[in-house]
Amino acid sequence: MKRVRTMTREKEGGMNTSRFFLAGILWMSLLSPGALPQVTDNQAALVKQSSIIFAGTVSHVAATSFAGVPKSARTIVVHVDSVLKKPATVSLKSGDSVTVEVKDASAFQEGAQATFYTDGWIFGSGVAVKELGHSLGAAGEPVPAAGKNAPGQMQGQLSDQQLKDRMNESDFVVVGRVTDVHKWNVPKTKSGAPLHVTEHDPDWHEAVVTVESVLKGGQVKGNKVIVRFPQRNDVAWVNSPKFAKDQKGIFCLNRDKTSGAPTAKMGGKQVNVYTCLGHGDALPLSEEARVRSLLKK
Amino acid sequence: MRVLAEYWTRVLPLAVFVMLAGTLFAGGQSPPRTKVVDLIPASLSGETNQDSEPFLAVQAANPHVMVASAFTPNPISNAGNAPVYVSEDGGNTWVLSAITPVQRMTCDITHAMSAGENHPRGDLHAGTLACAASITLDESESDDVSSSDVMKVQSSRTNVDQPFVRALPFSNIDHVYVGLNDLGQSSGHTATVDVSLDGGATYKSYSIESRKTMGQDGPSIRPAVAPDNTVYVAFFGWRKFNGSIATSDVVVVRDDGGATGPQPFQALKDPSDKLPGRLVVKQVAIPWSNAPTLGQERIGSTLSIAVDPNNSSTVYVGWADRGRKGDIYTLHVRRSTDRGVTWSKSDLPHTTISNATNIALAVANNGVAGFLYQQLSGGRWVTHVVQSRDGFATIQDTILASVPADTPVAQFLPYLGDYDYLLAVGNEFRGVFSANNTPDKANFPQGVTYQRTADFNTKTLTDGSGNPVAISIDPFYFSVPVMP
Repeated sequence: MKRVRTMTREKEGGMNTSRFFLAGILWMSLLSPGALPQVTDNQAALVKQSSIIFAGTVSHVAATSFAGVPKSARTIVVHVDSVLKKPATVSLKSGDSVTVEVKDASAFQEGAQATFYTDGWIFGSGVAVKELGHSLGAAGEPVPAAGKNAPGQMQGQLSDQQLKDRMNESDFVVVGRVTDVHKWNVPKTKSGAPLHVTEHDPDWHEAVVTVESVLKGGQVKGNKVIVRFPQRNDVAWVNSPKFAKDQKGIFCLNRDKTSGAPTAKMGGKQVNVYTCLGHGDALPLSEEARVRSLLKK
Repeated sequence: MRVLAEYWTRVLPLAVFVMLAGTLFAGGQSPPRTKVVDLIPASLSGETNQDSEPFLAVQAANPHVMVASAFTPNPISNAGNAPVYVSEDGGNTWVLSAITPVQRMTCDITHAMSAGENHPRGDLHAGTLACAASITLDESESDDVSSSDVMKVQSSRTNVDQPFVRALPFSNIDHVYVGLNDLGQSSGHTATVDVSLDGGATYKSYSIESRKTMGQDGPSIRPAVAPDNTVYVAFFGWRKFNGSIATSDVVVVRDDGGATGPQPFQALKDPSDKLPGRLVVKQVAIPWSNAPTLGQERIGSTLSIAVDPNNSSTVYVGWADRGRKGDIYTLHVRRSTDRGVTWSKSDLPHTTISNATNIALAVANNGVAGFLYQQLSGGRWVTHVVQSRDGFATIQDTILASVPADTPVAQFLPYLGDYDYLLAVGNEFRGVFSANNTPDKANFPQGVTYQRTADFNTKTLTDGSGNPVAISIDPFYFSVPVMP
């Protein structure tokens, strides 16, 4: 079992104390089998948090691998031995040199081998990353399946943490089916002032969603909600979910604070209107198990 | 004797060439030549984003330092900051650095670098729109764009559109002018300039519309600044709007003191109504279409203004309207040589351009005017830089790119951008435009350099591992020598 090293910025000031403290914990974890899952969870969390993971050998310290990266005592150049995780758009392969801004430069000397858990930083003729954690050792260790190179997740889907955060911010998370979609015209103001015209005009539409189950939030009156969404393909709204009749899915909903009219009439009654604007706020039904699992945590 | 003559015939040209080359070499300079560079760095060769609506800022005190932007998302994280492109070698190479205060991707960004505060590594003032649940303007600053530190937000508010940033050094501080359409302004006078006289620390908003509007002005509010502290601002005064046509005046206001006085931008009054703001043209029909209309591009608000840096009496303004019958969108350029008091009665020669958009004007130190635009012609988007030293009576037209207009299919609007940009730096016009990135030398008549992995023989893009990558829209930096 390799031990993953992480360090928050707050801890950097008390470096020696932290090092002894961490070493003690890791030593205890070896002696105590019951403590091992703690380390594994830590590693799994790092894998999820990291956008780029690779194993490599330190070739230069206090150096950078390409122009445009600010050199400091904390930047090192690492020769990549194997790439364990990266977004599909990023060009990185064995044999490349990567600049790593490490948390503790004294932990690395030329020739040191390690697995680096990192986040992308600067992209030029090469890649520069910031260290989130590392594990010293020769070969790249297996990356837990959830964190394997998953370009779709990096570019298109929300990570578990991002989805969890998003659901925490939602008033409702529901499973439902879209039964109607129609254009919604912003009502004229009482003063009669004309409406604003911008290239970012959302072209609001409303979707009527029949709620099949509520995963978060209270009961939905009448089991139907109106979800207002931007139909415009403008850059401002390109990542906002668009709705179509008979679409089924899981929807993260918030009370409408965007369109300027937070209520609408449905079935003769004035009801609250919701929006579903964020990237990944509308999920396919295949994500239901993941969503339920994250809501339990 | 004949042998001697032949000897000199052969040797003399060579000697002259060597002397000239030696002079240039000894001076440490080479004559400027046209340069076109695809901004996408090699380490992002796998990207297929629609990197449209580019913009450019050049550090005046150190013009090797430049910042470019486009609708480029953070390449690794939906939660990360939106990036900009940074060059420290005069545009030969660029890196992508996530320094804007906006999450993932801006939905409008312009910027300027000024030299007032002695930050030679790039004192960047930016206006960004963040688009999520609401559209939020951030006015922000970085003292060193190469540091990779995220820009500091200095001012923020909602309900605005198209921030357009210009900056001027003023003693030891930067003056910042942000043209924007402030949809919260009362009485429909939405054409606004946010002015900061303290390097962005504080801003004050000034409505520059003095006439009745249909409820608002057009989105484009464009400041232009001259070193003598003359500030011009052009905008579309929207008088009527029927959903598809805005009946608009093209209005120019001026301030002679860097907008430091209590009532700025009042210096120009129109003789017709004595109100501030000279009406360059009245009641033109400007098509408004937030859907693919000019090829895959939308249209509705392309506008540019430029002032001669050494003679602020000379100012150019350009815009697009419906133009002649049969045209979708027609560009026009007019000129004033008396500080905006009177304007040319008709378009300057060679500046009425059919089916074109993304106008950007600039004036070089020697008075040569530059005119960047993108024209839909023969199923291709053709990017031109036109130069003239005589008000476009005679011109030099340089085609930077001619690319297929039907590919790639648009991911969103704008397809190429609601604007591109041109500015003058010494003896160069520098600028940016977005275009189809097929690596085909025939598409770039002046030549082109790709940082990303590209095979010009097979006309294909590849990622770092040799896998094919789909064609997309990329931002391109260019430098064109100013006519002598």
